[in-house]
Amino acid sequence: MAKINPKFTDELKKYGAFDTNACYNCGHCTAVCSLSTEDDSFPREMVRFSVLGLEENLKTSLKPWLCYYCGECSETCPRQAFPGELMMTLRRWLTAKYDWTKLSGLLYKSLPVSITFFLLVIAAVIGFGSYEKFDTEKIMHLGHYFEMFSIAGVFAFILLPNIIRMWYFTIVKAGVKVKFVTYFTKIWELIVHMFTQKRALGCDDNQLRWFEHLILVIGYLSLLFTTVVLDWFGTESTFIIWLGYAESAVIFIVTFIFMYERVKKSKELARHAHPSDWFFVIWLFLMGLTAFIVRIFIDADLIENNLWMYLIHLTVLVQWALIIVPFGKWTHFLYRSFAMYFDALKKIK
Amino acid sequence: MKSKIGVYICHCGGNISDYVDVNKVREAVKDIEGVEISVDTMFACADSSQKQISDDISKKQLDGLVVASCSPKLHYPTFSAVAERGGLNKYNYVHANIREQVSWAHSDDKIGATEKAIKIVKAAIVRVKESVSLKPIEVKAQKSIAVLGAGVAGMRAAKELADLGIQVYLIEREHFVGGRISQLDYLCGADETGKELVTHLYEKIHEHTNVTLFTGAEVIKKSGSIGNFKIQVKITPRFIKNECNRDELLKAIEVCPVEVDDDFNFNITKRKAIYRNYDSEYPQKPTIDNKNCTRCGECEKVCSSIDFSQKEEILDLTVGSILAATGFDPYQPKEGEFGWGIGNVVTLPQFRRIINMCDDKLIYKGKEIKDIAYIYCVGSRQVDGDNKYCSRYCCTATLYTSILTHKKYKDIHSFHFNRGIRTYGKQEVIYDEASRLGDIFLQSYEYDPPEVTKLNGKTNVKIEDILTSGSEIDVDADLVVLVTGMEPRNDCSIGDVLKIPKGRDRFYNEIHMKLRPVETVIDGVTIAGACQGPKNIMESMNSALSAAAKSYSIVNKGELSLEPIIAKVDKETCVWCGKCAEACPFDAISMIKENGKDIAEINLSVCKGCGMCLPVCESNSIDMDGFTDLEIESMISVLAGS
Ligand code: SF4
Ligand code: SF4
Ligand code: SF4
Ligand code: SF4
Repeated sequence: MAKINPKFTDELKKYGAFDTNACYNCGHCTAVCSLSTEDDSFPREMVRFSVLGLEENLKTSLKPWLCYYCGECSETCPRQAFPGELMMTLRRWLTAKYDWTKLSGLLYKSLPVSITFFLLVIAAVIGFGSYEKFDTEKIMHLGHYFEMFSIAGVFAFILLPNIIRMWYFTIVKAGVKVKFVTYFTKIWELIVHMFTQKRALGCDDNQLRWFEHLILVIGYLSLLFTTVVLDWFGTESTFIIWLGYAESAVIFIVTFIFMYERVKKSKELARHAHPSDWFFVIWLFLMGLTAFIVRIFIDADLIENNLWMYLIHLTVLVQWALIIVPFGKWTHFLYRSFAMYFDALKKIK
Repeated sequence: MKSKIGVYICHCGGNISDYVDVNKVREAVKDIEGVEISVDTMFACADSSQKQISDDISKKQLDGLVVASCSPKLHYPTFSAVAERGGLNKYNYVHANIREQVSWAHSDDKIGATEKAIKIVKAAIVRVKESVSLKPIEVKAQKSIAVLGAGVAGMRAAKELADLGIQVYLIEREHFVGGRISQLDYLCGADETGKELVTHLYEKIHEHTNVTLFTGAEVIKKSGSIGNFKIQVKITPRFIKNECNRDELLKAIEVCPVEVDDDFNFNITKRKAIYRNYDSEYPQKPTIDNKNCTRCGECEKVCSSIDFSQKEEILDLTVGSILAATGFDPYQPKEGEFGWGIGNVVTLPQFRRIINMCDDKLIYKGKEIKDIAYIYCVGSRQVDGDNKYCSRYCCTATLYTSILTHKKYKDIHSFHFNRGIRTYGKQEVIYDEASRLGDIFLQSYEYDPPEVTKLNGKTNVKIEDILTSGSEIDVDADLVVLVTGMEPRNDCSIGDVLKIPKGRDRFYNEIHMKLRPVETVIDGVTIAGACQGPKNIMESMNSALSAAAKSYSIVNKGELSLEPIIAKVDKETCVWCGKCAEACPFDAISMIKENGKDIAEINLSVCKGCGMCLPVCESNSIDMDGFTDLEIESMISVLAGS
């Protein structure tokens, strides 16, 4: 038996949703959603759970991750209840629920807190710079170490525990029995979804967006590889240098297009963007751009006298790695892929 | 005996002639004695055919007319009008139905159909031969109308009639006007409160010289008929003098030692035996509740306006028409129905009174109310009970009430346990507003109603919500509001006095739901407002104005012409056994003495020509104009003959 919690929609509003209560359960949204199936029917059910404040039902559901936010449902809803926006909001809310540190929720709900965190990072980078007496060589060297350790640390202490929590909620608590071997036989689902996001192709009229997204993911992951493993900023190899240029260019160009769309508000999904969505694209854009410029500075032998450029890049990087990746929208990339994986596990009877 | 009869047989564009050999029918009747002309026509109802028939009547001086065509329901009025246009009395027209009764019914047997058609037309011919011309019955009509019930519907009708120059007797059973609406403060969709609305109407009526208002008054007897009803009105005393001292009266209320449940507030508060319901109530004089007054004399000590010597009065009035607007009672939940009786459960009307009494905090029984569960359709749309109908007003009223609570108090949460919201028409915006305010709607089927239980001191409402795929959902509520519907007045004695028939829903019944919505089968008695069935204020007003117009049309000319198809008694053979009077459902028959003999007399304006009295008369002394024994017997002999 589930108890109604009428205050829940107020809580959700802090994550972005609005007027969810206007829903009169007509089901148009579910009917038009090209990803909703008979077994995994949404978004109406999610709207209903939200209105009633059935947190347990939401917490154990994978459905919010099955939506790729084409916005079709919001456009169709006769009550302007914005079901698509609600799905997006639920993803933020779930991210906050999965996060054991509870920092995600804090950052999502409060813009001032987010800004404070970003400012703290700026102060820390400047402090670090002055501590190292603005020694370019040393700072860049340590910056490279930071990249490696932050990736490992964030993954081990934040992302992995959170994925386990997600697994606990959506599989264990949801009462799904999965055979141990299935976890291995289905691992392919995880890999495919992580790298291709192929499910988004199922959305009508979504091919271009999917393509942009795919390029971005590939660009991002390979730039990560190029800087962290191949040491782009330190390498002498012409091939790696040009590879890095290409990858960072791809990132800032594609994110620029994303931002441009958002500003023009041309698409339904862009219409109700949350600050966290902005942070994600802007920082990705800045990462690509600053990395690109830093490498130009290096090639033009300017970096020695213009350490500030690297410090800007480092600031962006640290903000990205310590705020956006573990607690922000970046996690969607991970949770979505795992959701597909868990969903595949659930479907095995 | 008619001897120049015109017979017209219609093809109905093939509807008849495809199965019935129309030519053969015409051949078969053309030589019957008395038939002057016989014609077959493609469409008898076409303008040109109608013209032809009426021309034939006048040119050939026909004295009888038969049209064999479709059902009389469809075209009897058409052809009797044709007869009149040609100068023939319309009672010398006989309609023969050879479509519904012949061609459509026997499309598989053309020969048989033709034979049957011939018989039916022949029967019509013999009947028309025996037919007599009749004249409408003219009666005088009193230019006065009794309006029963001074709620908003009754008052609105009274005002309208008074404006039209009719003398109106407005008769109210309570000692105050306003009915149910005066119990409402805020009205959905109006800027006025219910009380203001009542005041407004009362003032209009009060200043009108054509309206006489009786309060504490009840019609206890009715006789006579349309145009001339004689009614007896019993007026119970108020026990307050006409010239009265207000301050002393307020004192009297204060000192009265008797306290009883206040039914104006649906028993959630108490009142004295001398009381008024609210300050601005009309008439602006309290009344003494005779049932509960102990005659202790306390009030008399402080107030000189009390007068216990006032007596009940009986008044005789004559009116041309009666308009009943006696209203409804709210449904009273049964013990245990949705938690009725476990505390913290009230009805919607009670809740409205509670809201009226609480200013900035909603308090019931000393506790502040935040979470409110409304349970819809209580006493309406019943699966097991008799009230199958939807009470129409309550969905809107509930949502409006919820909006009201949000506006008046802080942090209210409303849960609507409904069976499908019916905020029809313009009222949909009320639903929209409530839903956007965050109200939560839960829906169940009629056979799976929500359950109200007391759990650890909390009132819990549980439902299998069909909007959440039948999951069991529950909420702890501070207050459960039962959305009770409308019921017919528990005391509906007035309906028995007037003999207004009731429908299956026990509300008063109109003649035809769509075409004659305010008339009753009792000629001259109209109905308006919620005594006819659940209505909101606007709908009540509509019906009040419509009933006023109908009643007005009865009395305005001062005379009435009535249908002459009625029973008549043969004074020679009648021996007054009284059986006919017992059989007559309309009380049209009474005994009179004529030439020293007891005989039956039929009241022309009451008899409806139903024919119930005919077969019970052993001496066969009653005949029906328009359907005389002679006519019917001659038809039978044709139809039964080979
Ligand atoms: S946004 Fe698109 S994918 Fe998501 S629920 Fe709506 S229609 Fe389905
Ligand atoms: S389309 Fe809108 S109103 Fe209809 S069920 Fe979906 S969210 Fe609710
Ligand atoms: S108006 Fe609504 S609450 Fe009232 S009986 Fe009809 S459906 Fe039920
Ligand atoms: S015909 Fe009917 S209404 Fe008329 S007197 Fe006879 S029983 Fe009464």
